[in-house]
Amino acid sequence: MAIVEVRDLCKTFNPESPEPIRVLVDLNLDVEEGEFVALMGPSGSGKTTLLNLIAGLDATTSGRIRIGDQVISDMSESQLARWRTRNVGFVFQFYNLLPVLTAYENVELPLLLLPMSKDERRKQVNNAMEIVGLADRMDHRPGMLSGGQCQRVGIARAIVTDPTIVVCDEPTGALDSKSADNALNLLNLLRSELGKTIIMVTHDPTAAGRAQRIVHLEKGRVVDDVADSPVRLEPAVV
Amino acid sequence: MGGFLPNPIPHTLNPQIPPMTPDASAMAGFGGPPDFSLMQVALYGFLFMIGILMFLTFLAVLSLPVFFGALSLMNLGLKGTNNLPDPVGKWSKLAGLVFRSLRRNLLRTALTYIALFVLTGMLTFIYGIVTFLGDFTAEKEGQQMVLLTEKFSIPSQMPPGYARQLKDIIRDKLPKQYQPADIDQSFMTWSFVGATLDPTKFSPENNFFLFALDPDVIPSGMMSEQGLNKEDLGEESWDDLLTLVDVVKQDIRYIIIGEDKLKVMNKRVGDEIKFTSTNYKDLEFECKIVGSFPAGSRLGNGAAMQYRYLIAKLDDYLVRKREPHPNADRCLNLVWVRMPSKEAFERLSAVVNQAESFSAPAAKMETFSAAVGSFLEPYKDIFWGMKFIIMPAIVCIMCLVIGITITIGVRERRSEMAVLKVLGFQPRQVQAMVVSESVLIGVYGGMLATWSVYFLPLVITKLTKAVGVKFAFFDSFKMSEWILLYGPLLGIAVGLIGSFLPSRSASKVKVSEVFAQVA
Repeated sequence: MAIVEVRDLCKTFNPESPEPIRVLVDLNLDVEEGEFVALMGPSGSGKTTLLNLIAGLDATTSGRIRIGDQVISDMSESQLARWRTRNVGFVFQFYNLLPVLTAYENVELPLLLLPMSKDERRKQVNNAMEIVGLADRMDHRPGMLSGGQCQRVGIARAIVTDPTIVVCDEPTGALDSKSADNALNLLNLLRSELGKTIIMVTHDPTAAGRAQRIVHLEKGRVVDDVADSPVRLEPAVV
Repeated sequence: MGGFLPNPIPHTLNPQIPPMTPDASAMAGFGGPPDFSLMQVALYGFLFMIGILMFLTFLAVLSLPVFFGALSLMNLGLKGTNNLPDPVGKWSKLAGLVFRSLRRNLLRTALTYIALFVLTGMLTFIYGIVTFLGDFTAEKEGQQMVLLTEKFSIPSQMPPGYARQLKDIIRDKLPKQYQPADIDQSFMTWSFVGATLDPTKFSPENNFFLFALDPDVIPSGMMSEQGLNKEDLGEESWDDLLTLVDVVKQDIRYIIIGEDKLKVMNKRVGDEIKFTSTNYKDLEFECKIVGSFPAGSRLGNGAAMQYRYLIAKLDDYLVRKREPHPNADRCLNLVWVRMPSKEAFERLSAVVNQAESFSAPAAKMETFSAAVGSFLEPYKDIFWGMKFIIMPAIVCIMCLVIGITITIGVRERRSEMAVLKVLGFQPRQVQAMVVSESVLIGVYGGMLATWSVYFLPLVITKLTKAVGVKFAFFDSFKMSEWILLYGPLLGIAVGLIGSFLPSRSASKVKVSEVFAQVA
């Protein structure tokens, strides 16, 4: 059974206005557990909207989204918030780390919302920071880290709760090529070593090429779905 | 001049709480407090408020290290609890976010704090004035000072016989339980004598104002309201004062002048002076200064002489001119009586109002509070405006200031708010964080401002004393201790109100929209 199941999904902005903007139209998509999927398409094709809907950040107009055994399209905002904490890790283009917190504190932040002991939190954070290779930068604030390091902290924050899916919105968009490679390698590592399901929006064909499957969207519909894309793990050090 | 003591006793008193003015309306025209017009009062009030505003701003800037120090201390305290078992440790970490957010833009936080400090300070100050005057003019229960004054004329000028008649009424017509225990110890007359050392040249150096009274009213405590009491003076100064009274009683020409006035007049204790009355035509007095009232006190610019000397001079006028002095039958300005209760005062007032002997000119009895209230009557619109327009306006401005600051902060951090929501923070948790920031600034601003303003009158009194300036009423001005609590509470309320809209906006941040704009 697919871990992400999207059925007949529609998303319309300003539905009451004379000119509603239909971003997603009867979209269907399945993502298997442990799969690394890249969503591609021109601007306005609906890929980020789809990502937000899968991550529970926005409400559907119609259709159904199931993640694991939960139908999130029926959830209220507060239910979605609770669900996100446990089930979704989000990697942003611009990292979106809180500048007043250290790397450790940024990664620990989502865990504060879960019923976890202090020791469990520390263990989880340490694990995540080690996975992204920043165990020695725990006490650094974002301002003291490079863009690539910030993104790795962002990835650590995304996986620290051991989520069902990791969604990434242009994770390499703000990085130089070397840092981008590192980030993509890391995402592949998460998939291969930890079995994480990753859905990534990107404009970059190179980045998309690192995914197992590339889904092309156009005008709110899936126009191409290339599975079994050869996964390339660049030799860059993570 | 003969009969003076060879070594008059210089006297200096240092009352801690100088007294209120007597019925100032009755003193107008005798060299007493000037009769300000409403516009003048408004102008002086405005200038005074500007001064207070500047002073508060100065205080606010001075207190900035205290503010940030307190924030840092709280943050340190929270950090200390980070390692405590959950949920304390967990919640202290989340609360730490609030403190760090406040430190993010130090300039904006500091400016907001200063604005809140100044506004709270002004509000507290105005509240203090309004409540102080309200309390002062409120009718009181129990023992109270009451006044007999002329009913329809300002200044009050009554026949000297009124004092004797009032005493007789109290003795003969009031039931025993409504009489003061000792009427002679609870009775005081005041006659106001304007004076000048040089009738051809009216100037501050020459002009002064005297209370003509019986010196025995000082030991009886009847001048207590003017700061002449053991509690305010201290035991030693009080004993000195009693000795001085004994000295004054030895010669009707002995007088006491306030130290401030002595300085202006360039006179000293021991000097003999000759002065002409400005309100008793053709009366000249030859006196010796045998003591002084303390500088900076209510009597620091005044003087006291014996009532008997005034009467003697009026008698002398009759002998010299073969006709009574024009003011001979109008030389009693005020009569004070210390009544045992409010009911006793009401009884006495009813008798006086009905008595024919007090009908030409008509006289009235009122409490000291009511007399002050009458004096303040022309300014009641100003006080009303302060209470019901300026104070609410200041609260609104405070809410706006904090609201604008928090709104800017929220706008700047919309993506952070969105991230928090992505991470699973509930809208109400995001809202609580924003409200907490606002309340923290409000509480500290309110608390430090009210605490500063509580001590402000004391500081101003000291400063003005040091430079020889004195404000009527101000030296008696004391804030209620309750403002120490009201300040922080006001800060909390303003913080809550001011952050209501921005915190709602923060909690309703649409994650997808925020990141769509960022991208």
